[in-house]
This record gives sequence, C-alpha cells and structure tokens, in this order.
Amino acid sequence: MSTTGTLEYTPKDYKSDLKPIWCPGCGDFSVVQGIYRALAAIGRPPHEIAFVSGIGCSSRIPGYTTAYGFNSVHGRALPIAQGIKLANPDLLVLAAGGDGDGFSIGGGHIAHLIRRNMDITYIVMDNQIYGLTKGQLSPTSQKGRVTCTSRFGSLENPVNPLLYVLAYGAGFVAQASPTDLAGMAAVIEEAIRYPGFAFVNIQSPCVTYGEEGQQIKGLKAISESLAGLGHNPADRLAAMDLAQHYGEKMHLGVFYRNPEPPPTYGDLVKERQALLSKDALPKERILDLFIKK
Amino acid sequence: MAIRGIDFTTLSLKDALDLAILVEEEAQERYEEFAAQMDQHRTPDAAKFFRYMVENEAKHGRELSSRRVQLFGDAPRSVSRTMIYDIEAPDYDAARAFMSPRRAMEAALASEVKAHGFFEAALPAIKDAEVHALFAELRDEEVLHQNLVKGELAKLPPDSAVSDEDFVDEPAPQ
Ligand SMILES: Cc1ncc(C[n+]2csc(CCOP(=O)(O)OP(=O)(O)O)c2C)c(N)n1
Ligand code: SF4
Ligand SMILES: [Mg+2]
Repeated sequence: MSTTGTLEYTPKDYKSDLKPIWCPGCGDFSVVQGIYRALAAIGRPPHEIAFVSGIGCSSRIPGYTTAYGFNSVHGRALPIAQGIKLANPDLLVLAAGGDGDGFSIGGGHIAHLIRRNMDITYIVMDNQIYGLTKGQLSPTSQKGRVTCTSRFGSLENPVNPLLYVLAYGAGFVAQASPTDLAGMAAVIEEAIRYPGFAFVNIQSPCVTYGEEGQQIKGLKAISESLAGLGHNPADRLAAMDLAQHYGEKMHLGVFYRNPEPPPTYGDLVKERQALLSKDALPKERILDLFIKK
Repeated sequence: MAIRGIDFTTLSLKDALDLAILVEEEAQERYEEFAAQMDQHRTPDAAKFFRYMVENEAKHGRELSSRRVQLFGDAPRSVSRTMIYDIEAPDYDAARAFMSPRRAMEAALASEVKAHGFFEAALPAIKDAEVHALFAELRDEEVLHQNLVKGELAKLPPDSAVSDEDFVDEPAPQ
C-alpha cells in the first residue's frame, strides 16, 4: 500500500550516497536534480519507488537516487519496468535511459508499453549521441553529423522521439531541458501523476561528445515554452504539429495530456482477476491446471 | 537564467529579501555540486576554488538572512526556489573534466556578470522604494563579487600553452 501524504519529503531524501561519475558539466546532473525535486513533490517514500534503466551514461541515474534501482541491460529498461509494475502494481515505477537505449536497441518496446497503457513514467535523456561508448552516431543525431562512426557525415534522418510516441498514442508527452530546472521538475512530476504511460524527453547536453549548438547556450537560443505559445495540451493534433519542429526548436512543457485517460493495463488486469477469481483454483492446487482430466 | 511567477512591480521587501537569499542558496548548491564533480575527477585545484565560492555564497546568504530576521522575524516565506533558476549559479555545463583553476574562475566570473544583469534588468519595473534600493545594492555587490574573482584570477601564474581540452579523449568506436 502506498503511504503517500503521511510524511513530508525533501529532494535530499531521494539523493543517494553514490557520487555521479558523469563528466563534469554533463546535462544528466541537472536531470537527476529534476527527478529529486519531482519525487519530493510526489512524496512517496523511496522504498515504494522502482527505478529501472538500460545501459548508457544516462542509465546510471537510478544509482544516484535512494529508490530501488536496476541499471539493467542496454535497451531493456521498459520490459523490465513493465514486469515490475505488473508484479507489484503499488510501486511507483520510473524508467530512464539515453536516446540510443530508448530509440535504437530498445525502440521496439516503446510501442507496446504505449498500447498497453502501462502506468510507467519514461524519461529519455536525449543527447543525440552514444555518450558512454565515446561518441558514436545515435538515432537522434542530426543528418550530416560527423562522429567516429560517420566520418563523412551521417546519411540518416534522425528519429523524432516526440512524434514517435505521439503517433503510437502515448497519453502524456512532454519535453524539458537543463535551461529550466523548475520546469523540468514540474513536467516530471506531472508525468508521474498521469495515470498511464507518460513520456518525458529531456534535452540533456553531452559536454564531451555533443556539438556546440546542443549545449545549454545553444538550447537556450532555440527554447520556447509551450504554455507561452498558448498551446492547449489536450489537443493531440496541435501537439503533433509542434512536435514536428524537434531538432530545430526546443519546445518546453507538456505537448499532450489525454484529458480522458483510458484505463491502464494494471486496471484491466485487476478487473480480469476479479472476474476470474471466483472460479480460480486455490494456490495449492494450481498444478492441477496442467493435469489432463 | 529564468524566473517564474515573480511580479517585480508588486514585490514586497520581505519577498525581495527572500528571493535574494534563494539566489545565494542556489549558487552555493551549484558550486557544491561542481566541487564534488571536480573531486570525483581528481581536479583538486578547481575543486578548491569552487569550495571558496561555496563559502562566499554562504556568507552572502547568511548576511541577507540575518537582515531578513531583523526586519521580518520568522514570518513565513511566500516565494520559493521554483520561481528562480540559474540567477547567480553557473550553468550546469560550465564545469568541465580536468578544468584549470583559470577556467573555473572564468565560469564563476561569468555567473557574477549574469547575476548583475538580473538585478539590473529587474530595477526599472520595481515600484517600491525599499525594494528598489535593495536590488540596486545587490546589483552593486555583484560588481564586488566580480572583483573578488578577478583578484583570484590575477594571483594565477600565466596559463601554460596546453589547454585542458587537450586531455579529453578522442572519440573511439568500441
Ligand atoms: C546489447 C548491447 N549492445 C551494445 C552495447 C554498447 N553500448 C553501451 S551504451 C550504448 C549506447 C549509449 O548511448 P545512449 O543510450 O544514448 O546513452 P548515453 O550514454 O548517451 O547517455 C551502447 C551502444 C551494450 N552495452 N549492450
Ligand atoms: S560522455 Fe557525455 S553523456 Fe556521458 S557522462 Fe560525459 S558528458 Fe555525459
Ligand atoms: Mg545518448
């Protein structure tokens, strides 16, 4: 059972003793601060939170929180988070990782969590590069980008993470960046509160392998607040229209929040369990199911 | 540098003092983070300078806090950290692996200039005379802080021809 609201938490309560080994100046330092603040605002005790990541610089993030964490396998944060949520629906489940983790090797999983409407918040630290493995092309790298795996410039168009999740029908889609930490904490909090699959893309600069224009100064120059533009987050088509500008403009805030969230997969499982439980076998006779009558 | 939900035209002296305290607190925390990052990456000289900045920001924060207590006691705060961002704190990406003390000082100097700009830009909108005087004082203090950092910069021996960028690994496929 959740003990939300019985105690007051501060961001420091979610900070672990482990010292981040990210490069100084890495955008991920701000993301972990945003997460501490959002979790404090939610107020769930750390032991009621499961935080799952894949592999990458960004995927080290669960270790820097006091939540239960699993720095798992490259690209597999989402299926693992999903299993945890189904096994223990009372947990607040967060998943996080990089653009490579989420949209290359793990790209196939996102659609399924969205169509099931798993009640999980997924945070992608998008730095348009493979940081941990030292600067290779990532699925969100811009066309023409020169890296050690694209010496003459990339020939590929980038994946648009915002359109990707909107097109599959995600109920909550937002974007944030270290240019506005309070705004970042607010959208993470809102994503956690959304009952269903929630996606937050965070432009988190890689100071070691990222390009100049993708650092904080460059991001500031192309930032625009969605609220300031008068965007209505209940309007999915308007959200898709704005999301098309990924890579040229950085829209910050909530692109889309389904005003009538459908039931989550967990809700439907509970319903099904209630329906079938009256005819279910007691635990000690469960193996009888496999015996031919 | 960003603010949210602050109306300078109606800002009270208590709220203005509280904001100034929060600005110092934010800067202090950011320098603490930077010092820890430098420790982690075995860059003791830059860490030492960032700790010096932690002390400075803490001292300014204490001075402002005691004025606040004198004037308003423990009257509840009505402004919060979510209303300000990166006013005097250096940007997150101002730290770098193996940064030289010179580069660390330049990052601090840039944030003092940024803070000066914040108070300067706010002044024309402020109607209350006491708040105006406080913000003008805080703006002028930022010049003193800049001089403090410039003093530290002047103590440094001339930079070597080697830049700290030279120590960053070349990307290599793995
Ligand atoms: C199955 C598998 N394939 C490849 C790798 C190598 N690998 C580790 S992290 C990574 C990509 C990291 O990029 P991203 O997910 O964007 O995270 P970042 O480091 O940029 O935060 C790769 C390819 C791996 N660990 N496991
Ligand atoms: S390589 Fe890039 S993404 Fe990884 S820790 Fe360093 S700055 Fe951050
Ligand atoms: Mg990446």
